[in-house]
Order: sequence, then structure tokens, then C-alpha cells
Amino acid sequence: MRYVVLPLLIALTCALPAVAEVKPLSFDRTKTLLERYCTDCHNTDAPEADLDLTVYGTVDAVVAARPKWEQVLHRVRNGEMPPEGSDAPTLDERDELVEWIETALRSAACAGPPDPGPSPIRRLNRSEYRNTIRDLLGVHFDAAHALPADGAGGAGFDNAAETLFLSPVHAEKYLDAAREALDYAAKDVRSRKRIIIARPSDKLSADDAARKVLSRFALRAFRRPPSDEEIDRLLSLYRQAADSGSPYDDAVMYAMQAVLISPHFLFRVEQIPAGTSPQPVNDYELATRLSYFLWGSMPDDRLLDLARKQQLHNDDVLKAETLRMLKDRKSRGLSESFVGQWLGTRSLGVEYRPDPEVFRRYRPELESAMREEPIVVFLDILRENRSLLNLIDADFTYVNFDLARHYGIHKQIEGTLRQQLRRVDLPEDSHRGGVLTMAAVLAVSSYPDRTSPVLRGKWLLENVLGSPAPPPPPNVPELSEDDEAVKGKTLRERLLAHRANPTCAACHDRLDPLGFGLENFDAVGRWRTKDNDQPIDASGTLPGGATFNGPDELKKVLLARKDETMRHLTTKMLAYALGRGLVNEDYCTVDQIMDRLAANDYRAQELILGIVESVPFRQHRGRDHGQPSTTDDAPEMTEESTP
Amino acid sequence: MSRHDFPISRRTLLRGAGAALALPWLEAMAPRAALASGTASAPVRMAFLFMPNGVHPKFWTPEGTGSDFSLSPTLEPLADVRDQITVLTNLWHRNSNTGDGHYVKTSGFLTGTTINKTVGIAINCNGTSVDQLAAQRVGGATPLPSLELGTEPVSSGVDTNVGYTRVYGSHIAWRGPTQPLAKEINPRLVYERLFRAGKGSADAAREGRPLLDLVLDDARRLREQLGTTDRQKMDEYLESVRALEQRLERADSPEMNAWQPRAELNPKARPAETIPESHAEHVRLMLDMIVLAFQSDTTRICTFMFGNSVSNKNFSFLDGVSGAHHSLSHHQNEEDKLRQYQLINRWHVEQYAYLLRRLSEIPEGNGTLLDNSMVLFGSGLRDGNRHDPHNLPLVLGGRAGGRLQTGQHVVCGKDTPMSNLFVSMLDAFGSPVDQFADSTGPLKEILASS
Repeated sequence: MRYVVLPLLIALTCALPAVAEVKPLSFDRTKTLLERYCTDCHNTDAPEADLDLTVYGTVDAVVAARPKWEQVLHRVRNGEMPPEGSDAPTLDERDELVEWIETALRSAACAGPPDPGPSPIRRLNRSEYRNTIRDLLGVHFDAAHALPADGAGGAGFDNAAETLFLSPVHAEKYLDAAREALDYAAKDVRSRKRIIIARPSDKLSADDAARKVLSRFALRAFRRPPSDEEIDRLLSLYRQAADSGSPYDDAVMYAMQAVLISPHFLFRVEQIPAGTSPQPVNDYELATRLSYFLWGSMPDDRLLDLARKQQLHNDDVLKAETLRMLKDRKSRGLSESFVGQWLGTRSLGVEYRPDPEVFRRYRPELESAMREEPIVVFLDILRENRSLLNLIDADFTYVNFDLARHYGIHKQIEGTLRQQLRRVDLPEDSHRGGVLTMAAVLAVSSYPDRTSPVLRGKWLLENVLGSPAPPPPPNVPELSEDDEAVKGKTLRERLLAHRANPTCAACHDRLDPLGFGLENFDAVGRWRTKDNDQPIDASGTLPGGATFNGPDELKKVLLARKDETMRHLTTKMLAYALGRGLVNEDYCTVDQIMDRLAANDYRAQELILGIVESVPFRQHRGRDHGQPSTTDDAPEMTEESTP
Repeated sequence: MSRHDFPISRRTLLRGAGAALALPWLEAMAPRAALASGTASAPVRMAFLFMPNGVHPKFWTPEGTGSDFSLSPTLEPLADVRDQITVLTNLWHRNSNTGDGHYVKTSGFLTGTTINKTVGIAINCNGTSVDQLAAQRVGGATPLPSLELGTEPVSSGVDTNVGYTRVYGSHIAWRGPTQPLAKEINPRLVYERLFRAGKGSADAAREGRPLLDLVLDDARRLREQLGTTDRQKMDEYLESVRALEQRLERADSPEMNAWQPRAELNPKARPAETIPESHAEHVRLMLDMIVLAFQSDTTRICTFMFGNSVSNKNFSFLDGVSGAHHSLSHHQNEEDKLRQYQLINRWHVEQYAYLLRRLSEIPEGNGTLLDNSMVLFGSGLRDGNRHDPHNLPLVLGGRAGGRLQTGQHVVCGKDTPMSNLFVSMLDAFGSPVDQFADSTGPLKEILASS
């Protein structure tokens, strides 16, 4: 008897009408398996990896601890757990366990009525502010240059509502930036014309002209039509300036300063509907969600116009607009922000700087090209609707001359290479293609002066497979790569020696082989066949038995694990689009998108459309929505330890 | 009509002040006149300098106790200000003895609290940092309540290995449990901020106030429509705008403005527009800004982060070092790494010594600016290899207007709360508290016997 219905689950399903088909689940068999293979280590007394599997008595409890169980799922599925040397489940038992966890998590996410999750108000982050001022005023001027950087939250992006704080210093900076930007716009004929759309004339009084200008400006700045009252108040600012003798242009621009420091401009605010049930966002809000997702900037006139006509929410229009926006050059905003933070390549040259003493030919120009490569490759995949699997392995990339030479492929490339990166077909033996072998990635996953298989493995697990390794247990020092006891041995031998310790091995068996697969690349991503005159051994065996030799084969292994890689990418992109960490309900959306991707050869635009058309993107919760969500990020007080 | 006819003054501050020059400090930044000193007694200033990644423990603690101590190899750069410092041994943060890695030890460094483990939602440090507590009490006396400085922008991303947002590792100043304060990392922007804060004009106030009135009104109305969490964000906005408004008002009304700069800022002294490539130069400029802020009395409270925690700043610019800060701090007791780690520690102490010397070279009242300051230097963990908040490496410099005893090595009882130090610092600052975080009383040893 595989499925015995749990009373709790019945209660849950009965309470919720219109439930998607939910398989009744039994926890009993699973518990038996857990007790047989897992709880020797993962128990209350000394929970390995801070995981106590004895505390979960119900399916609900499992679902409530989703992040932990997602990891359990990963590791059991890949044969990483139980670790080598422990009693291992049979293949059937493993499948059973995997299927149970998967079903429990997946069906729970879609069990209730559609819930769009929270949609907190959110300050424009630094790059959104920069882009918005650029598009609002039509100036090529970095208005955000003096603003403090924003930290990241949720899924690791700096557009997460929860970590976009405001310090006392911000108001001062915003006021300065507003003045500076408007000053700049005032001096630029085209920009001035763009924002001052009316001037007093025989037929138009100064007041009426100002009203027209400010109404239009406020509509674009607030991303919704301003109320009459809002316009009246702005007009009174205009009059104050005009009455004291300011010329017309200066006086309206004075009122515009107020718009640019208003919370309605600096924050994205939505009208939350009354009641408990979710409602579609209005068309202006949808335009705003779309534009900050796909452009990292404000909606353009066309979107605002479609919103005014209340057409944007029509499925066909929404799809067409999404595709139009991806083609627009502004979609670079998405690629730059998403890719740079997902892969961590944004911090190349900031937090990660290769050591100039060791890499003497490393130049700022090369660094820029390195940082640019993943951005433009992703953009190409997006705009040309290529398979997202190209991110794992591809037969093309983008290079300029510096980068091609860095890769040692400049002689094999047809045509001229200049400063600007361009698309090139990769030579057969280039070992490049896909993000793993991009120089920027290889650099940010290294030390400044040398490579580290551990760091690279950690990078890969975290960013590509979505299965980060836990930190070393307390009081166990981080794995050293040059311990006295193993001096004189190769790095591989030294790491292997450490893995003799089962505590270390549990994680390093996963980390190190992945990293070794990339050892043919030095700490700035150049190809090499030797390190310190020793030939490179880039072979590895993963827990679960998959073997490979070198980056090309490693990519094949990862391609075979596309469920994990594509799922991770989907969660990342959804969290980025929503500007928050994901909550339980969002995994229903993730599952739907995964199905959609699998059915469509993992085409990039399916991912974007899947998100844009999803419940959390198109709806928000009612004001009286009571239930707090279980989050990826359930905050916990770290326990105070006894002194 | 030209734009210059606009009667509400346009922003002219710092425009046309000539090319930016990074002149040697003494030449450029010397006060034109000591304005207010001599009459009123000089105020006490407090600064907190945070060094990431701990210290090589063996080379940190001085030999001997009380006034009879000799500086350790790491502290040796403090030799010429030895009389002006107190080295503190055996202080710790009980509440940061938890959580993985550095995050609790950074955000908790000046709060003495434990932080919520989160990658974003419900971020909370469960306290207010000691500098902000002081700022909330006396910050109104100066144009800027406090100044938050650093050299690195907020670290990007979240640390999925340990489950914390790196926001925690990038902030030591917390205005309240849920509000870390953004830090300024560009010396030029700090300078401009100081300059403007001290030089508010009636014109700027007349121009700015109607704008702020309008948006404050917007924010208040908006706030009414929001749920609890969202209100918090709007409160941050309101506070921020009000702070600016107050400054404008102050500039416009002499009766509100009892404050006088103690020294004028010289526009020629402003740093270059871009952040220096060299970390050493960058740090020096930021420390210069602290001196300027204190000297002019634009603020009396400042925090400075040499780097964010887990900073992997490459220190190969130092002779004998070829690696990055955080990785070297995980030295595994290997001789070579320890040696380099100690050199990095020592470099930080050198910078601290530089700041103390600068302050000591500026006469104020009957003594020096350093005599009227207290500058705490330290790290939120001891041995970088162990992430251990016992026996934190700490030095306190300056006499806080004669309230502190210096020239000593104070060895406290094992595991004395570092919060006790904060209690006594707040006392010396003139804003005493009964209790701070896990404090059990004052740290009497640092106070001058009266």
C-alpha cells in the first residue's frame, strides 16, 4: 500500500475548492526509508549539516520546510546522499524516496487556489533609477552616480524589495540627482523638447501650458495617470517659482524636481485591492512590472498608451509586447542586471580582482570584455529565442579582439575583430561555449592569484545546479589546499587526502570533482595544459557515478542534468522578475514553466513568457490576505549559544 | 532671459572651484582659522573603525598590563601615540557567538546583538548600534548627526552557503533593528556632503523646502494606504526627507542654528572625483574625511569600515604579501599565510595610527583634537581562521576630553561583554545609558579617575 491518505491533507484539500489534482500521499513508507538510511546522522542529537530528519511528522511539515527538502531531493536524486561508506538504498528505494519528496513539494505548491504571493512596495534600485531618469528625461547622464550601492536579498538580486533600504543620506542624494539631471536636460535641446511639451502662447495660458507639461511628466514619472489634486499641487510649485520671476521653463522644471523626489516616483507602488482574493494588477501596474523586468526601466509611451486603453492585459497584446520589448535595445537592462548577478560576474573588477603581479597582461579593456561576454551571449539567446541549454554548452560566443586572443582563438576567427564584442562560431577544439568556460566566470570563481577547484565547484553547485554546499561544520577548519601534512603533493592529491575524512568528504566529494573539470583554465580563464610544470588532470567522478574528463565532458554531464540547471535558472529568473525571494506558492509557477520549457526545447522566450503570463506576475494578493507564506527564506533567530 | 535670472538659487555649490587636487593634507586642509575653539569647551567625538577578518592572535596582544606594557608586533605602528591609546583584552560579544561565518560578527559589532538568519525577508539585527544611539541623542547638535564611511560598496548577492544576505556583512551602523545605514565610499562625495552640510544657505532652504513639504505630504498620505512592512519603508523615506528638511531649516534660521563650524573647510582640499585605484590612498583619504568632519565639527560621530567582512581585497600591494585578505585569514596555522595575515593586520593598525596622529596634530582648546575624541579600532572576530568572537582585538584611542585613561593595556576578566565598553564610551560621550545589549555594567578601567 503506497498511498495512505493523511488526515491532515484531507482537511487541507477539503478546505480548498477547485484544487488541482492532488495525489494522496503517504509519509509512512518514506519515514521508514529515512529511518533506515538517513537518521543515523540527521537526527536531533547531532544533526549533520544542521538537518534533523526526525522532526517531520506530516507532509505539511515537510512542505513548510521546502528549502531543506529541496536540498534533500537534490542530494538523494544525485546519489550524493547517503555518503559513500554508509548503507545505500537500492535504486528502487532511491526512486521511491525521490518521487515522494518531489510529489509532496510539487503538489503542495499548486494545491491551493492560485496565490500570487506578496508584492511589497519597492524602491527603484540604483540601476533602475539611472535607467529611469535616462528614459524619462531623454538624457545620457548617469544620475545615480552618487547614490549608494544596494545590497541583495532573496534570490541574490539587488532589486529585492526587502533589502532596498533608505538611509537618511538618500533624500539629499535624490534631491541633488534630480537637480543635476534636470539641469542637464535643460541644456539639451532634444531632451528639453521631450519634457516641455507645451509653452505659453496666444492660445495657451502659461498656467494651462504648465498643467499640460506637468500632467504628462507626472504620468510618465509615476507610471500612472496623476490625480487632479496631484497636478494642482505641482502647479502651485510652478506658480511659486513663476510668481517670483522665474522664466517658464525654469519654473516648470522646478516643479519637476518635486516629481523626481516623490515617493510615487522613487517607489513602485501598486493599488492593492480590497478583500482576500487575488486580483489582476491594473494595466499601468502591469506595464510597470513588465518594463522593470525586461528593461530595468520605466514603461515607454507605447506601453503607457496600451495601459490607458486597457489593452495590455489581453493575452495576445501582452505576448506581443513582451516580444517587442525583448527586441528593444533596452532589454540589455535585463541581461546586464540578471546575468551579472546570477553568475557573479558583475563583481569582476570590484570584489574580485585578479592579481596584477601574477597576471601582468591582464588589462582593464580585457576585463570589460570578459564582463560583457555573458551579458551579450544571454541577450543573443533571448532575442533569437535560442535554447537556454546554450548557457551550459554552445558552439558560439561573443568576443572582441582582446578576448579572442585571451582564448587563443583569434587566428581561427574569420573576419575582423574590433573593440566591440561580436558573435563568432567557436572553433572545434576551443573548449569554450556556455557560461562555465567564460573567462569572467572562471575568474570570479578563483583566488586572485590562482585557481581553486573547491571555489569553482562551490560556484557551480550554487549558481548552475542550485544546490549550494553548506558551510564547514563548526570547529572544522575550511579545507586547506596546502596543508603541511600533504606538502609536495599535487593539488589533486592534497584534496584527495582531505577527502579521506568522511566529514569533509560529504561535501568535497561534490565540490572538488566539478572544480577539477575546469582546471584546464587558469585564474583569469586562459587555457592551459600544465600547472607548475605538472600536466593537468581534469578528470572527475561525481557522487552517483558520473565520470568525465575535462570541461567538454563536464558540460555533457551538466547537460544531462538539465532538470536541475533549468529549474535553477527558472527560479532565479522568476525571483528577479518578481523582485523578491520566492515563496511556496511560486513553485507552482516554477513547475509550470519547467513543463513549458521541456515541451519547447528550452527556448529562452518561453521562460520569459511563462513568467510574464504567470499568476504572481499578473496578479497581486488582496489587502486582507491573511496567510503568511512559507518562504525560501524563512527568517530564523539564530540560537544563542551558551558562553 | 537667461537661466541665471531664476531667483531661487540654482545649485552652485562646489561648481567652478577649480580642478580637484589631492593636496597633502597639512597644506590643503589646515583650517583657515580656529573659529569657535577656546570659548565653549570642545565637544567629544567618537569614531569606530572596523577591520574585517580578524587578526593573527599571537602577534596582537601586548606583553604586560596597565601602563607597563610593550606593544606587540602588530600594534607596533602605534608607538608614537602609545600614551594616547588603551589596548583592550578579553572583551567579547556573547550574542555573536553563533551563526556561521562573519555576518553576525559584523552587523553585531556595534550592536552587541544577534541577527536574524535570512537572505532578505525580515532582515533584523535586533538592536541599534552604539554610534546611532549616540547620534539619536546628540546628533542634533551638528549639521550631520553621524557619518557612515567605507571603502567597498555593499557586497553583492546573498551567501547561500550560510543563508545570510551580504547586506549583513557590509554594515556596522544600524539606525534601528531593520535599518542598516548606507555608507559613503567616495571621498569626494564625503567632502561635498560635509561642505554642503556646513554651508547651508537661506536660498537653498527657500528653494528646497516647498519641494520637501510636498513630498512629505505625499508620503504621509501614501503611508496610510500601506500594510505594516510597506509602512516601514515609507517611514524610512519620511525620516530621510525630514532629516534633509531640518538641515535646510537650520541653515535658514539663525536662532535654530547655534552651531558654528570650529574650522572652515577649504574647497581646495576636496579630493579628486574618482575613487583612487590604490587601496592605501583610498583609505587615507577616507580617514582624512573623518579628521575634517571632526575638526570642523560637522559631525561628532563616525563609523568606518576598512572593508566589508569576508572582504577578499588583494593586499599584494604590501611587501611580502601575495594574496587576498579573507583567504589569508583562513591561515590554517600555516607559517607563510600567518606571516602575510599579520602584515595585513599591521597595515590596518598603521592606518589607525595615521588617523590618531592626524587628530593629535590639530590643536583644540588646551589640547588636541585627539584629546577630545575616542576612536575605537577593532574586528568582530579574533582569529580569522576560527570566526571566534572571544577576546576581540580592540584598541581605543583618545581621551574623550579627559574622561578616558590612556597609555595602558587593560586586561579584563575573561569574557567581559564588549557592550560594557560601549556603556562607558556613551558615558564619556555625555549620553549615558544604564544598559547596552548584554552589558553587565561600565568598563571602569578605561575611565579616568576623577
